[in-house]
Amino acid sequence: MFAQIEKLGAHTIQIFEEFGRLLMFLGQVIFSVFSRPFGFRDLVKQIAFIGARSMPIILLSGLFTGMVLALQFYDVLARFGSVDLMGSAVSLSLIQELGPVMTALMIIARVGSATCAEIAIMRSEQQFDALTCMAISPFRYVMVPRLLAAIISIPLLTAIFNLIGIVGGYIVGVFIKDLSGTAYMQTIIDTITWSDLRMSIVKSFLFAIIIIWISMGKGFFVHLEKGVSGAEAVGRVTTKAVVASAITMLFADYIASSFLI
Amino acid sequence: MSISDKDSTDKDITDQNSTDSDTLININHLSSAYGDRQVLNDINLSVEQGEILVIMGGSGSGKSTLLRNMLGLMQPSSGEILFEGKNICHVNKSEMLKLRRKMGVAFQGGALLSSLSVGDNIKLPLRQHTDLDENTINIMARLKLELMSLANFEDLMPSELSGGMLKRAGLARAVIMDPKILFFDEPSAGLDPVTSVELDQLILQLRTAMNMTIVVVTHELESAFTIADRIAVLFDGELVTTGTVDEIKNCTDERVINLINRTPREMKIDADKYLSRLTKGAS
Amino acid sequence: MSFDCSEHLHYKVLHLTGEVDLSNSSKVRQCLLDILNKGKSVIVDFSELIYIDSSGMATLVEGLNIAKKGGLTLTIAGANGAPMQVLELTRLNQVFTIVDAVSDIGE
Repeated sequence: MFAQIEKLGAHTIQIFEEFGRLLMFLGQVIFSVFSRPFGFRDLVKQIAFIGARSMPIILLSGLFTGMVLALQFYDVLARFGSVDLMGSAVSLSLIQELGPVMTALMIIARVGSATCAEIAIMRSEQQFDALTCMAISPFRYVMVPRLLAAIISIPLLTAIFNLIGIVGGYIVGVFIKDLSGTAYMQTIIDTITWSDLRMSIVKSFLFAIIIIWISMGKGFFVHLEKGVSGAEAVGRVTTKAVVASAITMLFADYIASSFLI
Repeated sequence: MSISDKDSTDKDITDQNSTDSDTLININHLSSAYGDRQVLNDINLSVEQGEILVIMGGSGSGKSTLLRNMLGLMQPSSGEILFEGKNICHVNKSEMLKLRRKMGVAFQGGALLSSLSVGDNIKLPLRQHTDLDENTINIMARLKLELMSLANFEDLMPSELSGGMLKRAGLARAVIMDPKILFFDEPSAGLDPVTSVELDQLILQLRTAMNMTIVVVTHELESAFTIADRIAVLFDGELVTTGTVDEIKNCTDERVINLINRTPREMKIDADKYLSRLTKGAS
Repeated sequence: MSFDCSEHLHYKVLHLTGEVDLSNSSKVRQCLLDILNKGKSVIVDFSELIYIDSSGMATLVEGLNIAKKGGLTLTIAGANGAPMQVLELTRLNQVFTIVDAVSDIGE
């Protein structure tokens, strides 16, 4: 029995160690944002990867999410005779919650995993050691462009998700459920306030930091994974990064919602 | 975090220059550990200006750890490493950056950045640290590529290169700024004998033509005997001996003899413990 | 490092003294390009040069290229010691015309 408690204790200590390391990592990345020279070209490259190339997946998932929301809300609202409120229901759900969260999940799947794997492989191939020996800060050169690109791209992608979701809802509402298009749009304009938009922006900004921080951090410390090395280690940290980002993001979602609603 | 540039004040800058002006690196009582595991024990070694020093040892002897300490990639648990008289374990960040620009490091697998072409990889230190004209940078990079017989590979990506080519590209990058000291981690590993010999000749030429001090970490005997001015032999984390090629060949220490003759270590075993290890868990 | 220019017949002579490296090769480059842009062939005098690094070599290569394109010449004179070894290592001794002394160059 004591062995079990020991194991639990060791595991808990390990979790705290990892978390502490990740926090220090985040601190070092943020600190490096202000160091020169600034890698503008790398930033643009990363914005292209994180932002531009995520567009197809965001457009598709946004569209389908909006369409499903419309179907679901129609069913519920019909029972209360309030189907004309569909526009505001769909848009509020998207803007306050589903937009930021779904966008974050799509980005975790696409960008989080790729970034973690890429950085883990860089670590395994001693590329960070090489940068350090060339007197180039790995934080400034590799991490900062990714952090800034995420902060710039993800809120924009969230906004696009919201918009296309509203369009999806419109398509279902107007063309399938025969609602008035004008009424749909009008309820949206009447209902959505600045504080709703603010919630979307704050959440997406927060999620952006969480996703890129955890993905990069997990990859960066791949050499400290116990019991594995090489390709297996890369696979393991990538999985861990995706899961950890998702759970941390959802937790942050709850905290943000409780403060901002 | 393995990055060890400390933001501390400039203490312990011992001025070795007055007495040992030819000594580039002084390692004094260096000990290093990974957690509980002691990897290096009380190492004392110097690297003289203009020499080719080969650090040799079998697997697990601690030579990679010694190299990492010398490069400032990890902090020792005790002891000091003086580079041009400055203790790199206590030097501040900007001072460390200045020292690093005098060092070139060729890593085992090349360690090229995967997102840059071969040419851009080699030009990276120049673009980051100098104001040289782009034309000058291009010609410098191509001169090094020609030296490494990689002339037509400038625009390829690292993923398109073989292991040997990656190594040579990594070496080209390591010497692009004509560093004062070049560190080479396992140059011959994974190379065919012909390329290995060519690389040895290149190392000798670099020293002569560019007045470079070169530290090579390797376990390849032929290579070591060809290029070394001095050889330092490590065994189980201890520095067994240092000497010229002839001195090492004539050394009477059993561990050195075994290394040179490539005889497997004759381990004296405790029969009871050995049996119990073999039969652990058996009913 | 110092450098100065003089004339020899119809050539401009660039005397390099000391060490040419990253810290000063840009100045040499500027001087060399100025001479070539004025349409003069160049002799680079290595006799008092102790050391030249890749940036210095690259500058000379660029100069040679520009000279050839403009129908001019760039000759190296008096290379010895480490600079000569660098020329051999980089095989540039087969690319540049190298003479023993400036005075060896006739019309």
